[in-house]
Amino acid sequence: MNSVSIQSEKFLDRESSLGVLLMLPGLILLAVFLAYPFFLGIWLSLTDTRIGMPGEFIGLWNYVDLLEDEIFHQTALNTMVYALVTVPFKAVMGLGLALILNNQIRFSNPIRAFIMLPWIVPTALSSLGWFMIFDPVFSPISWLMIEMGFIDSNINFLGDQLIAVTAICWVNIWRGIPFFGISILAGLQAVPPELHEQAAIDGANKFQRFINVTLPQIKGLLMITSLLSIIWTFADFQLIYVLTKGGPANQTHIFGTYAYQIGLFGTEIGMAAAITLYMFPILAFFSIILLRYMRKTA
Amino acid sequence: MEKLNDNQPTSISGETTEKGMTRRQVIKTGAAAAGAVALSGGFPYISSAQNKTLNIVRGTYFIPGAQEIAKQQAEEFGKQAGVKVNADFLNWTDLNTKIGAGIQAGGIDVIELWPVQNHLYANNLVDMTEEAEEVAARGGGFEEYVLNSGHVNGRYLGIPHGNNAGTIAYRISAFEKAGVKHADKGGMDMTWDEYFAVAKECKKMGMPFGQSLGHSLGDPIGFCYPYMWASGALEVGDDGKTILFNTPTFEYALNKFVQAWKDGYDETGTSWDDSSNNRAYLSGKIASTFNGASIYYASKRRDDGGKLMNDTHHMLMPKGTAGRYHEFGTQTMGILNNSENIDVAKEYLKWWFQPENFDKWWRVQEGYQLHHVKNLANDPMWKDDPKMGIFKEIPKYGRLRGFAGNPNEKASLAASKYIVVDTFAKAVQSGDAKDALEWGERQLKRIYR
Repeated sequence: MNSVSIQSEKFLDRESSLGVLLMLPGLILLAVFLAYPFFLGIWLSLTDTRIGMPGEFIGLWNYVDLLEDEIFHQTALNTMVYALVTVPFKAVMGLGLALILNNQIRFSNPIRAFIMLPWIVPTALSSLGWFMIFDPVFSPISWLMIEMGFIDSNINFLGDQLIAVTAICWVNIWRGIPFFGISILAGLQAVPPELHEQAAIDGANKFQRFINVTLPQIKGLLMITSLLSIIWTFADFQLIYVLTKGGPANQTHIFGTYAYQIGLFGTEIGMAAAITLYMFPILAFFSIILLRYMRKTA
Repeated sequence: MEKLNDNQPTSISGETTEKGMTRRQVIKTGAAAAGAVALSGGFPYISSAQNKTLNIVRGTYFIPGAQEIAKQQAEEFGKQAGVKVNADFLNWTDLNTKIGAGIQAGGIDVIELWPVQNHLYANNLVDMTEEAEEVAARGGGFEEYVLNSGHVNGRYLGIPHGNNAGTIAYRISAFEKAGVKHADKGGMDMTWDEYFAVAKECKKMGMPFGQSLGHSLGDPIGFCYPYMWASGALEVGDDGKTILFNTPTFEYALNKFVQAWKDGYDETGTSWDDSSNNRAYLSGKIASTFNGASIYYASKRRDDGGKLMNDTHHMLMPKGTAGRYHEFGTQTMGILNNSENIDVAKEYLKWWFQPENFDKWWRVQEGYQLHHVKNLANDPMWKDDPKMGIFKEIPKYGRLRGFAGNPNEKASLAASKYIVVDTFAKAVQSGDAKDALEWGERQLKRIYR
């Protein structure tokens, strides 16, 4: 055995050097696909870069300017409403779904797989389906309600502020319920049956058992899924882009769609980067809570 | 079409190009190049072509035949030139994204540009003044709207190829029932007030007018900008800074539109996109809408014994207190200057613009795509269907976004933020035209500061 192979064997025998070596592929991937775009985004947000034009460093001007942008104010408000309204609904309805699926029912496995469909189907595709359902002229919902005599003209699902916001929130909830449902179901199935049996012997009814036994057991799971869902919903794009592109009159814009509009249609990618980075402190806040909680429970 | 504040190349309307060539020399050069291609059976200017791939990105065409021909022609060029050709056809809305990605990261050679995009990406396009003037000379000169909209600071950054124009399509029977005379002849000279009065009557008959005011780059902008111009307002003055948007005449006109929206339009239009009005019209839900000729083209191909085709006609945009306008300029086939195949891309465009190729693509659209050169104004194709004749009139009333300033990046930002369209949408939603106009004015001041 030559000296090179002996040295490399020694190198691999050392835990510290082997650890670095094993981490290296992941580190390179993170650096190329996460760290580089992130820091590039920060740099761009501090410049007046346009597509095809080198920008100059302008400090925090983009961020300050956005504070005076009425459309950005509306976008920020819309994003908050979109995330904070939908997540509680998803959590409660997902919990309900999980409780139903946790019972012994026939065909439970196919049903569970079927219920996952909204989560599995690509969002752009399912959003297109909803786009057709909400069609201002040919909506089957409007048609049915007119035929049944409840209304006399089509519902403007995506063209009236209140109805449009409700409609996109509904689609987001529809898409998100399976994630909560299946996650919570996994948690429910991990609750030891002895705890329920003991509580039942002590005279607790079903509701009391749910409050005092089930909920404490799945509390951590509920928190993690809710935080993840908030983060994903804040960073959403496809659903809104397919359904409304931020219209009517910017009433459904969220950070992602507004940044896309400014950056790729308006060519101001420096400003667009600043819009998306306004999400960063909010997402960082929720991520820190999530990570701290996960560490604590671990 | 109104002229831009811009230097125009002079070879067609004047006598010489920027390089000092006469019209005759340009024609000779073009003929010589074409002759060289014919004699050699290939493309002598393409070096080591076998190893090259030409990436062409165009918009999708509403006329399916045009897309099929463009695709076949790209393949044909590839065979003749010995290069691999990829031709992609993208949704028009997504074209911006693709151009942006191509400019930043490369990978695109030839790109189809909407009007204004040649201004927006001026620093990233190859100067093709010589090739464009060759095409113009061969075709009897560019149409005036092309001369006014196809160049940037006196240079052609691509070869103009005309554009599909939008105007008012209507149901003859509905207009006649509403009391419009000579509706079957088309081309009525209406004011907006008269048009709205017809809308009111049609809505009473259960067939309102339809107009998209959603976030879509075609029909909403094509309708709202001309209405603004016809009402005596502009995004910005010719100094490119002074906002002339919130004028008393426009406030008056916008109030009229708000009332007309309730009385005569399908009020779900605030969520319509570029295809909603096509579908609504073709299914008999609306009596009139602003659109390209695609509605009529589709009605000609319906299996209804020609009923809808015979009942459809066109007229120009109605007049307002400040005149009649259309939002119109030429499209351009450009080459990105970061392309590694500029020589191949130029040869492709020169080849595609030869009459035997271009005219085939143009004629299949039956007038949907307006011609770029004067010789095609008298093409027999125009005689096939008199209902398409009105489209030839549109360029006379054409203005570009950003008028009376230049169609620069600020005009593009205003359009991409839908400021004018959203002013209309806000006005019809709230019923408060004044408040909507003040909002729009604040937004435009931020953009044109």
